[in-house]
Amino acid sequence: MPDAAEIERLRAQFQAALAGAATEPGLREVRDRYLARKGGVIASLMKAVAGAEPADRPALGQLANQFKHEIEEALEARRAALGAGRPTAGAVDITLPGRQAPLGHLHPLTHVRQQIESIFGRMGYELLEGPEIEDDYHNFEALNMPPEHPARDMQDTFFLGRPVPQRGLGTPGTRTSTRPAPPDRPATLLRTHTSAMQIRYMEAHEPPVRIVAIGKVFRRDNPDLTHTPMFHQFEGLLVDDGVTFADLKGTLTAFVREIFAPDTTVMFRPSFFPYTEPSAEMFIGCVFCGSKGCPVCKRTGWLEILGSGMVHPSVLEAVGYDAERYSGFAFGTGIERVAMLKYGVDDIRLFYENDLRFLEQFSF
Amino acid sequence: LKLLVSWLRDFADVRLPVADLASTLSMCGFEVASIESVGTGLQACEDAVIDFEITANRPDCLSVSGLAREAATACRVPLVLPWADASGSPASGAPAAAPTAMRIAGERVTVSIDDPDLCPRYAAAVAEVKVGPSPDWLANRLLAAGVRPISNIVDVTNYVLLEIGHPLHAFDLERLDGRQLCARRARPGERLRTLDGEVRALDPEMLVIADHTTAQAVAGVMGGAASEVWSGTRIIALESAYFKPASVRRTSKRLGLKSEASTRFERGADINVPVTALERACSLLEQIGAGRRVGAPIDVYPAPRGPIDITLRRERIAWLLGVGVDDGEVVRILTGLGFGPIEAAGGWRVRVPTRRVDVQREADLVEEVARHFGYDRVPSHFPPLRAVSPRPDPRMARKSLARHVLTSAGFSEAVSYTFIDPADAAPFADAGEPPVPLAYPLSENFAVLRPSLLPGLVEGVARNRRHQVRDVRLFEVGACFSPSDGERRRVAFALTGAGVMEHWGGGMRPADFFDAKGVVERLGEAFGLALSFTEAGPPCLVPGRAATVAAGATPVGVVGLLVPSESGRRGLPPDDEIYVAELDLDAIDRMAQTADTQARALPRFPSIVRDISVVVDERLRSEQVRATIQRVAPGTLVGLREFDRYQGQGIPEGRYSLSLRLTFRASDRTLTDADVQAAMEPIMEALVREHRAVQR
Repeated sequence: MPDAAEIERLRAQFQAALAGAATEPGLREVRDRYLARKGGVIASLMKAVAGAEPADRPALGQLANQFKHEIEEALEARRAALGAGRPTAGAVDITLPGRQAPLGHLHPLTHVRQQIESIFGRMGYELLEGPEIEDDYHNFEALNMPPEHPARDMQDTFFLGRPVPQRGLGTPGTRTSTRPAPPDRPATLLRTHTSAMQIRYMEAHEPPVRIVAIGKVFRRDNPDLTHTPMFHQFEGLLVDDGVTFADLKGTLTAFVREIFAPDTTVMFRPSFFPYTEPSAEMFIGCVFCGSKGCPVCKRTGWLEILGSGMVHPSVLEAVGYDAERYSGFAFGTGIERVAMLKYGVDDIRLFYENDLRFLEQFSF
Repeated sequence: LKLLVSWLRDFADVRLPVADLASTLSMCGFEVASIESVGTGLQACEDAVIDFEITANRPDCLSVSGLAREAATACRVPLVLPWADASGSPASGAPAAAPTAMRIAGERVTVSIDDPDLCPRYAAAVAEVKVGPSPDWLANRLLAAGVRPISNIVDVTNYVLLEIGHPLHAFDLERLDGRQLCARRARPGERLRTLDGEVRALDPEMLVIADHTTAQAVAGVMGGAASEVWSGTRIIALESAYFKPASVRRTSKRLGLKSEASTRFERGADINVPVTALERACSLLEQIGAGRRVGAPIDVYPAPRGPIDITLRRERIAWLLGVGVDDGEVVRILTGLGFGPIEAAGGWRVRVPTRRVDVQREADLVEEVARHFGYDRVPSHFPPLRAVSPRPDPRMARKSLARHVLTSAGFSEAVSYTFIDPADAAPFADAGEPPVPLAYPLSENFAVLRPSLLPGLVEGVARNRRHQVRDVRLFEVGACFSPSDGERRRVAFALTGAGVMEHWGGGMRPADFFDAKGVVERLGEAFGLALSFTEAGPPCLVPGRAATVAAGATPVGVVGLLVPSESGRRGLPPDDEIYVAELDLDAIDRMAQTADTQARALPRFPSIVRDISVVVDERLRSEQVRATIQRVAPGTLVGLREFDRYQGQGIPEGRYSLSLRLTFRASDRTLTDADVQAAMEPIMEALVREHRAVQR
């Protein structure tokens, strides 16, 4: 006959069985064993209670019913626990990687170039490109470097094996030309600087001139960590009434504070370029050591960033401008130099190796 | 230039610490490469060698006295030189007054200039000498400046070179045939063994210093071995001349021979300093007991040049700098630097010493004032913008568009060298046009201008493949070159690996021709050009999987599979398929659509779609099927698209099945099935009639 102790024993058995049911089928088996209408432990218990002494029946019945509820609740709780995290119908594992439409990366030099174009575009500069092959006149002579000028050594030149026609396709700014086109001369060299474009533009336009030209330039340097025989320059030129060295300082300071950091410190130091007078080199506080002095800035706290100066009157005269009336400034630097400082690239050759492991580090 | 600070202090009582002196001169435009302390702690005065990088315009500062002048001006102390400064003096006296010959020990010594265009001045002094080592103080100063002491005679010439900046050369007079020094052009075929032991072949564009019979020195570049001062030299002729800069530069380059002398002469020596330099050298020879001058210096100077005068207007200083400078400061700076400013209306007449070859016009004087006024004292200002800048060049916008389309198609941007290996260039050059060569390339790897962007891109693909990158998509926008057309702008791309990228969800497949073609079509769409493709390609592409791309009748590029020999040459396995395409941006620029898009109204009525499958001969191109349908279809056919092509089981040998989806719509009503049926019948009839098509 059942009694309270018997129910207590059954309860202990159930707890053990429940604990051993770690899967849904296992749980179903426990459920069947205890709750089956025919032959289930509870069904048998109920039958036995029905056959108990009438005096004991209400109390035993109550205990048995309570036990049944316990089992039902425990099974349900267990089932819910086992089923937790199962996807509902149609659900996916959202942690798997997405299917990415292919998207290529722009070259880091293009990123820098776009920033430069944006900054000077907002300052009202016309953006240009020019030919990579040039004639001696545009690359040197008109820039105050006659043949055998010692400054030509500063830019050791690649000459072409034979002259190649200039089809005028590369002449910058011809769409907005206000002057007759100068005669095409055959190209004899790879331009050593983008300054050649200044001449082409001024030949074709009256002041005011406000241009930024970007492109490849070529100098006879064997490749190493900081040199390549080809690199990119950008060059700016402003010619107008009343342009001063103070304007140069203001413009370039604004530029470096945009392309680097807003609190960038600057220094201008006298220098020499044949096509500017006075000439200035611009330095920024070293971005690597915060101007404290480190191997990169040779412990000076300063990094050379731009060459600049007031356009030499001989250059203005070479393109037929009135040097008594107009003045201007010009500036330029290597895009690679800016990119290396901005992105912490320590080997310039990486820019030309087209290694996706490098290119994919930069944005789209 | 390696400057010994104590040497500079001989001429200017600059009391700044070395580091401050270096930074002061640096802010005047003399870049400091390094500072090195010298001497021992016993010395009362701190000494150091500062290595300056002197810009090409300042040959006068390739000397201790030149830098002393700058330092004295910057520090506002007087400059005291132990010689008279002739650089600022007017052209002196009658040139005939100076002797051109003299006698020593009964022999006549003569100096002459045959080519005054290359040698406007030649001065010489004769001295009896006793060759030996220099005293320590002199040798140590040379060592500090990086010059190796050789003998008292040579050391004195080098000392004067460093001190005054003027190159001297000592000949052993007794080894000069006829005791003659003549500045003349070299004779055809003339040769000379220079001091470094090399035999130099001279040409008649080069100036030499010759004795009665042969060249004894390459003028301004290097002396000859035959007349070199040696231990037994008894009499020397000291040369102090002025040579034309361009001539020295040309000779030095032609001979591949640079020297301390040539560096100074090619930048421009001071034409009025030669006699000063001779006198300084002779007095030093006497001072160290090395020799004694005989007679007065000889000086051949047929057309003496004096200093030039330049007007400096007060208002031009502020006009150029954006800040005014006090008159007193202008005068102080110019005077300190050796200029002679004389008050004149509105400013000054400024006498420019002949050593300052870089100062030729007013702007140069403004720079002198600005350098010593201090660039940091010029304010920062922003120039007014008086006009809107012109519209951006559409050609540049088109390049940006190409970049946008290509990155969107998964291509990353490459930048390759403009000059490449001729072997890499050859397969990509236009037929019959060898690439443009460089005259003196750095190496064979950089010997020709690229005729195409493809060699660089293929190399880029190969490099990535070698680094185990399987899927590579690269593009480049840049210039290419040909001998007849010059410079052309192009855009090109290369892809290999997956056409559809690997993903856990599947769907990956290798790239094929149509991946490449699709990108070209997209570019055409971006430029507003309807591109057509014909089965022909350059030799670098595999026939049958290559096409020439045209816009209208104008070819604008190519697309296709790279020949395996090109990938194999770069070490890639033969089954690596690299698809490439290249388009001519200059040609596209001339045709591209520039007008704004005009939006069309959206359709107001629904469309009806019909699919058909036809079996046709395998030689028939889908383009022909499409053309036939478009010709006979009514205007209500608004869409036509191939959606399947099948060849194989169930299709007769030599034929293939092509499935097309036709979309019909009218702009003014809802089409009925009957309308579409009426349109389809003639289409099928035409396909059967013209292409022997069988409907599936």
